[in-house]
Amino acid sequence: MIPLLIANSLALASLLIMMSSGLALIYGLRDVINFGHGALYMLGAYLGYSIAHVAGFWVALVASPILLALVGAALENLVLRPLQRRSHIEVALVTLGLGIILGQVLIFFYGGEARTVDAPLSLAGSVTAFGLTYPIYRLFLIGVGLSSCALLAIWLNFSTSGLHVRAVSQEPSVARMMGIDADRLSLLVTSLSAALAGVAGVLAGPYLSVDPGMDVTMIVSCLIIVVIGGTGSIPGAIVAALLYGFVQVAGSVFLPDLAALAPYALLMAVLLVAPRGIGRGRVLD
Amino acid sequence: MNGQAATRVAYRRGAALVPSARGSRRILAGAAALLLFTIGAFAPQYLANDFLLRLADGGLLLGILALSIAFLMSQAGLVSLGAASVYGGVGYLFAIAMSQWYLSPLAAIVASMVVVTVYAAILGALIIRTTPLAFMMLTLAAGEMISHAVLLEGLRDYTSGADGLVVSFGGTLFGLEAGDFANSARFWPIVWTAAWAIGSAVWAVRRSRLGAVLRATRQNEERMRFSGFDTYGPRLAAFVLANVIAGACGLLHVLNSGFVSPESLGLGLSTNALVSALIGGTATSAGPLLGGVIFAFAQDQFGAHGLTQLLTGLAIVVFIVLFPSGVVGAWRDFAQWIWRNRNREAG
Amino acid sequence: MLEIDKLSVSYGTVHALQEVDLEIAGEGVLHGVIGPNGAGKSTLLDAVSGRRRPTAGAIRYRGQDITRRSVAWRRRRGMARSFQRTNIFQDLTVREQLSLVAWRLGDDRISDVIEVMDLGDYLEERAGRIAYGVQRRVDVALALIGRPQLLLLDEPGAGLSAEETLRLFQHVRDLVGERRIAAVVVEHDVDAVFACCGVVTVLDLGRHLATGVPAEIRADQRVITAYLGSAA
Repeated sequence: MIPLLIANSLALASLLIMMSSGLALIYGLRDVINFGHGALYMLGAYLGYSIAHVAGFWVALVASPILLALVGAALENLVLRPLQRRSHIEVALVTLGLGIILGQVLIFFYGGEARTVDAPLSLAGSVTAFGLTYPIYRLFLIGVGLSSCALLAIWLNFSTSGLHVRAVSQEPSVARMMGIDADRLSLLVTSLSAALAGVAGVLAGPYLSVDPGMDVTMIVSCLIIVVIGGTGSIPGAIVAALLYGFVQVAGSVFLPDLAALAPYALLMAVLLVAPRGIGRGRVLD
Repeated sequence: MNGQAATRVAYRRGAALVPSARGSRRILAGAAALLLFTIGAFAPQYLANDFLLRLADGGLLLGILALSIAFLMSQAGLVSLGAASVYGGVGYLFAIAMSQWYLSPLAAIVASMVVVTVYAAILGALIIRTTPLAFMMLTLAAGEMISHAVLLEGLRDYTSGADGLVVSFGGTLFGLEAGDFANSARFWPIVWTAAWAIGSAVWAVRRSRLGAVLRATRQNEERMRFSGFDTYGPRLAAFVLANVIAGACGLLHVLNSGFVSPESLGLGLSTNALVSALIGGTATSAGPLLGGVIFAFAQDQFGAHGLTQLLTGLAIVVFIVLFPSGVVGAWRDFAQWIWRNRNREAG
Repeated sequence: MLEIDKLSVSYGTVHALQEVDLEIAGEGVLHGVIGPNGAGKSTLLDAVSGRRRPTAGAIRYRGQDITRRSVAWRRRRGMARSFQRTNIFQDLTVREQLSLVAWRLGDDRISDVIEVMDLGDYLEERAGRIAYGVQRRVDVALALIGRPQLLLLDEPGAGLSAEETLRLFQHVRDLVGERRIAAVVVEHDVDAVFACCGVVTVLDLGRHLATGVPAEIRADQRVITAYLGSAA
């Protein structure tokens, strides 16, 4: 029971980590929460669905994130950069509007019913270990989630561009004085986080399903996570995603009636104790 | 010393000059507003058909809800995503107060508004301290909790779950019967008057010291504290006021429709109200009210084709990027531009 | 007026201030605080004004322990500060912000402040639109409203020319002398401090190094080794 619970919450958390660390990255550079991130995830999922139909799951897992990275670059160049002098709440609302539009366009093309994506043959079926039978695909999901987490940590801590990202996130004015080009970094980061949303979208296909409401469900979860984690803090977001995954899964097992409320209760509880979230994020103003 | 004396003289001269000009303009503006109010209260019943009136009633209700959001946005820089939970919640309270607690309609109104005020004060006291983004999420969270609570099995006897509640009352309320509120033509003057009353109240608060303190706090909270201001109380007051407006609007809605359902609590309605506020412009009282009416008519035009959501998204983007001060603000800018050009030609 | 008792402030593992003792007694005397970068000058001001909670130690203001009092409480009881990074209301006009603060503090004579800070020509301008030097004066002016008893100025000369800084210091010195109030000024510009301050304190690496009249400080061997020597 308990191992299953932990495995399931890790699987959910893997998707959430990829999504919310992307959100936190953009926030760090641009001070903007991308409310359209859920729609990017949905776009990734539908592209993944179409590509997988034609060329198979593995091609989709590569192609969809690449296409999403291009969308991210467009978002940076056409929206975030031109609007960088506007108030952050306004820009956030613009991304909300764009997200709604993207979601509606997808529904227009794909229709309103849910689609299912099959896991590739090599990942179908389940394994038994420690007396627990568990779907291989979910283990794969956990693996990808954790390794993307590790890659992100390595990039942020050991590469020049990663160092610059951290510098801008923590002290934008100082970083600018040091001659760090925030615009170029932001392009990199926005594309990267859109690509991560693409990976999450494709991975979500066989795990959850591809349906018209997936963008809203995901963005609400991610926003809760980012706020709990302390806006802009990536380690905070990761811890919060793990916590969220656990609360969600445990809630649906033990208190199915109240499960939908569990994340909100978690948010309230955390913010009442630590109004700025658990991580050391920057203050949004 | 000379400079000081000169500025003092300048103040005094300004003080002597301004009132006469401003005073007559004020009287003129007041008279125009009164005329507009009177015409607006009675003319539509003769000019418009039942369908249009029903749409206008709904639009103005949405506008009042939008005004609640816009007030908090423009004065405190806080975006609430939970306005509908109070709007719908007050309807449930009103119904439950009459059917379960056997209160008279008037007592039920008072009771539900008291509950809303207390709820807003407690919630606000907890969430006002956080960052604006966290505030937004927490209002969403509180709203979602209320929406889910209504659907709980244990509360089904009170709320009827997803079916919603029919809300009706016997006898009279302010001399009107339930049927009067439900009649779109007779409801119009009521909602029109309410919109003017709430709009004027918001206008007065904006111009008051509280409004000035709120706007300064929005700009620079830290310096306000370092200037001896308590920045928490005023923002809490603004939050409670916004919720009281949303509550009053919800009462009007439930009296008019005679029905309250989980839909009237949901995030969808909060978003529509937010969009209405953006369309009209958040900086004035008239803007959000007008925005609500525009939204209602647009929804009627395009809703049948399933385009409401797409248009909502487009409206958010277009109005924030191109018309950040909304229809009312854009109109004012345009009028000023015409005025200036004409003056230039004349001079 | 102000007694600082074994005050320590840490950010995580960094000790910005360690057991600093200081007494600001002199009424009508400008008290300068100098020291190299990272000496803890701004942290000292932040702790005294309530922006930063001290890790240990106590602050007494007019005989009362105020270590845990709110920022607004301190301001209403006559402790005012200005900021190193201009911290004003960018979208309000100069007059709007001065009169709003004056209303809160029950000061009906903002014309004095306007005159002292020479802001008469900018009253109807939005603060965000005026020159940086004038914005600095608005910052100080906001601190002068309400006839404060203790004035804390954080690098008032930041971003100003040496000449402008000196003029601002002379203004403040005269004001402090006239009103017989206490004032602490943290400053980079050592010349301005020695020219206008009656007492000077030197901080180094979060510790109190020396306090005395300018002549003593100039001659102090420890100060020369730690700070002045390298600056000169």
